[in-house]
Amino acid sequence: MASTMNSTTATGIGGPSDKVAGGRRLHSANRLFRALSLGAAVLVLLTFVAMFGVLFEGAWPALHQFGFDFFFTEIWNPVKERFGILAPIGGTLITSFLAMLAAVPLGIGVAIFLTELCPRMLRRPIGIAIELLAGIPSIIYGIWGLFVFAPFFQANIQPWIIDVFADVPGLSMLFAGPPYGIGMFTASLILAIMILPLIASITRDVFETVPPMLKEAAYGLGCTTWEVIWNVVIPYTRTGIVGGAMLALGRALGETMAITFVIGNAHRLSTSLFAPGTTISAAIANEFSEAVGDLYISSLLAAGFFLFIITFVVLAAAQLMLRRLDKSTGGNRA
Amino acid sequence: MAQDMQFANPKVGMEPAVPQDKIKVEINKLNFYYGASQALKEVSLPLYDRKVTAFIGPSGCGKSTLLRVLNRIYELYPGQRAEGEVMLDGKNILVKPNDVNILRANVGMVFQKPTPFPMTIFENVAFGIRLYEKLGKREMQERVEQALTRASLWNEVKDKLNESGLSLSGGQQQRLCIARSIATKPEVILLDEPCSALDPISTAKIEELIDELATDYTIVIVTHNMQQAARVSQLTAFMYLGTLVEFGNTEEMFTAPKDQRTMDYITGRFG
Repeated sequence: MASTMNSTTATGIGGPSDKVAGGRRLHSANRLFRALSLGAAVLVLLTFVAMFGVLFEGAWPALHQFGFDFFFTEIWNPVKERFGILAPIGGTLITSFLAMLAAVPLGIGVAIFLTELCPRMLRRPIGIAIELLAGIPSIIYGIWGLFVFAPFFQANIQPWIIDVFADVPGLSMLFAGPPYGIGMFTASLILAIMILPLIASITRDVFETVPPMLKEAAYGLGCTTWEVIWNVVIPYTRTGIVGGAMLALGRALGETMAITFVIGNAHRLSTSLFAPGTTISAAIANEFSEAVGDLYISSLLAAGFFLFIITFVVLAAAQLMLRRLDKSTGGNRA
Repeated sequence: MAQDMQFANPKVGMEPAVPQDKIKVEINKLNFYYGASQALKEVSLPLYDRKVTAFIGPSGCGKSTLLRVLNRIYELYPGQRAEGEVMLDGKNILVKPNDVNILRANVGMVFQKPTPFPMTIFENVAFGIRLYEKLGKREMQERVEQALTRASLWNEVKDKLNESGLSLSGGQQQRLCIARSIATKPEVILLDEPCSALDPISTAKIEELIDELATDYTIVIVTHNMQQAARVSQLTAFMYLGTLVEFGNTEEMFTAPKDQRTMDYITGRFG
């Protein structure tokens, strides 16, 4: 069809009929493009539904056998085929929560420093370092955590923390027990280190979308740098920051390798953060190879199914929250 | 001071245009640099109290740069620096010990495009006040209403003060920005092409507003639009290639310019 176009331009006479032909050619190309992009979109949706279906099917025997107790019991006994995933659920939520607690403020801080305060000369090197850090495979964080960080933590920091909080009611419970080195707290810290560069680099990118004129307007009112960041830059980029944090949370919830290395893999939910624990993904990764018996495999699949649901609910909740925020203040920008 | 300058820069027609008026800001031998390139060369002119002064000239002539010196907003960018004197009420604002934030609270600025903050309409105005004053709820509401009324926006927004500032139309947003600037009770208001992103009706409203504000504030407006300069200002400065070519009474400037370049520019021969 391209040749038809060429011939008309070659003769140099573009009559009305030629235009119709050209229009029709474009029209069919357009339809093809639409069909292709629609197909791609539908494929994503189908994959999602299929995954959901397969996981649910695999999880059904365990869910049927144990009922709701499955989510509320701590017992994990492959020999007697008694399974409950309270410990991995707790471990997943606690480690992710702690990691976010540490990494979100730090990540935003790093982004603020890079976009607003950092001397121009240092901006690129630090930025590149962060991107590199975000790209390090999780297994490397895992071995670093196990062989370097955990022993150091065990020898130098853990005893000190246990000492300091020993007499504080509440906190003494959270930081109790022998200093193992590995455990929930260590896993949370490693997770925080892993998601920190992700949050920092996304937040820096969205900070850079703030129009200079908007910042000038705030400075022009007499704002200090801090006031501009707190009242204008962060509200303006709220959607992006929350989006970045959710991406990081998604990674934290699903992170497997690094966690498996440093969490201790004990199906126990302890009040002490220094005690070993496990997470859903760590449990699955650790045990699928030795899972014999249908109920064992089904229980692992059910755990995975629940992780799928947690992730989905977290993302949906974030979307909902953003929509509500936007209505009252932010306006409808991405 | 004005006398001295006549001799310092005799090419500029500097006889006080409106002699009985008080000088609010006195710019004296101002040089401005973007890194190594000089954007303003020995610019000297007075800004009269409660008058509208327009800066006109072709793109890149330095008129916006001159405006940005008046609240030291240029300092946000490394490599930009100003030399010379800008006396606001007799104090040189370019001297470092001056608190730049207080200066900016006293010299309001409105930009080419509306820049409402991502907050409610009420908060957009209250925000600036809160930076420098602790007001009770009632007083704050009064101040916000005053500012919005002064910016002739109150009647349009009084029922939706809690909606986002971004929900307004472009012209309303720009008046919101003006309300925000005057809420902090500045003495000088800088307008950097405030109508360049607006439709003719909104432009007319803003121009009307500038007229009203001039009873209380010293206003400086940078504009590309010569009709606008003629309509809203009492004094006009024509700049070209970083120098002040001519400064004087707006009416005289547009009817009988003294410099050939001014003549060429206002008759549309270049720019």
